[in-house]
Amino acid sequence: MEVLKEGLLKVDPGLFLWTVITFLVLALILWKAAWRPIVDALDARAEKVRGDIETAEKNRLESERLFNQHKEMMDKAKEEAAHIIAEGKSDAEGLKNSIVEKANSEAKDLVERAKKEISLAKDKAVTELKAEVVYLSTEIAAKLIAKNLNPNDQKAFIEDALAKIRTVQ
Amino acid sequence: MIHLLHYVNSYISSGGGEAEKESMYDIVMHHLTDHVISTGFIGKINEQYLSTKLFGIFDMRITRWVLMMWIAALLCLIVFIPIARKVKKAKNGSRSKWVNLWEVLISFVHDEVVEPNFDHHYVKKAMPYFCSIFFFVLFCNLLGMIPGMSTATGNLAVTGGLAMLTLAGMIGVGMIKQGPFGYWAGLVPHGVPAFVIPLMFPIEIIGLFIKPFALTIRLFANMTAGHVVIIIFLYLVMMFQSYWVGIGSVTGSLMIYLLELLVAFIQAYIFAVLSAMFIGSSMHAH
Repeated sequence: MEVLKEGLLKVDPGLFLWTVITFLVLALILWKAAWRPIVDALDARAEKVRGDIETAEKNRLESERLFNQHKEMMDKAKEEAAHIIAEGKSDAEGLKNSIVEKANSEAKDLVERAKKEISLAKDKAVTELKAEVVYLSTEIAAKLIAKNLNPNDQKAFIEDALAKIRTVQ
Repeated sequence: MIHLLHYVNSYISSGGGEAEKESMYDIVMHHLTDHVISTGFIGKINEQYLSTKLFGIFDMRITRWVLMMWIAALLCLIVFIPIARKVKKAKNGSRSKWVNLWEVLISFVHDEVVEPNFDHHYVKKAMPYFCSIFFFVLFCNLLGMIPGMSTATGNLAVTGGLAMLTLAGMIGVGMIKQGPFGYWAGLVPHGVPAFVIPLMFPIEIIGLFIKPFALTIRLFANMTAGHVVIIIFLYLVMMFQSYWVGIGSVTGSLMIYLLELLVAFIQAYIFAVLSAMFIGSSMHAH
């Protein structure tokens, strides 16, 4: 026990009491003035950070879901667009074919009609010509008759004229 | 380096002047033991108001060590009260490095000292005590690293006082949580054979007191040993009166000084964490 009274290992009761008093006062002041607000603030912040992380996770999942939805919609839209384009192409093809066909048939009709008209006109012309020829022949015949041609000449004339008409025809 | 120069200077100017006359023992004792302050304002107060012993045993005269404790306590107040205000004001965390430094240490106490040893809902209640003890011990330890200052925690009365509070905490918390009798009955582990109980009970009681005693000695010895080594390294210069020894011993004492900085942190942590462990475990019967 002698060693506790002097030297390095001395335990001074006064210092002991001062330590206890000092520490208790310090702890009390810091408790009220520092630790409580600090711990409260740190806890609140930790809580906030936890909440923020949770919200972020939730938002991430939500955005992932939306992204997938969006992607699906895009895929669907693309498919639809392709479908529409294909349909349009086939429609256009059909339309083109029908137009060309129609044009062809119309052209054919036109040609046909033209041919018919031409033949009609030709027939008419031939008929008219025939009438003219008959008229002329009659004229000629009349003139010849008037001149008193012999019957042989007359016959030769008519035959000649008829032969000519035939070549025209 | 400037610190080191001051440090060396303070030791040489305070102890080195009469190195021929003083033995190494005297120098060590001069630096590591307490002295009643007899000069200045405090000396006057000591003489006038505190000269009689309180209850006959407590010599309440203000000594160098008491002064060091007060400086450490004052530093705690100066540091932490503004920090508290700033932390409270900055909801999303302060940008200030100063605030963040202390926040990290407080979080360290929270995560490493209090949380592992206390139930979840007692953590908040236990924080003030362990923060106080950690930072008070830390400041006392570091104060001793400043030239001209002394390490209050390098004294058995100081560490004993702090450990006594831990003991009081253990018994107090135990008696509140387990009931006045439940606590003492709970000292003996459950499931031991009945005939061992008379043997176990005194052992557990002794164990109860040995825990704070170990705290006392650990902190005291760690804080004292480093200082003794530093002083002895520097005393070698006076002993040999040689530049070569001077270079070696100053380098050596610098190394020990850096080690002491580390030890100051480690011991503050160990004191706090062991206190937390003891008090935390006294909440439940074994």
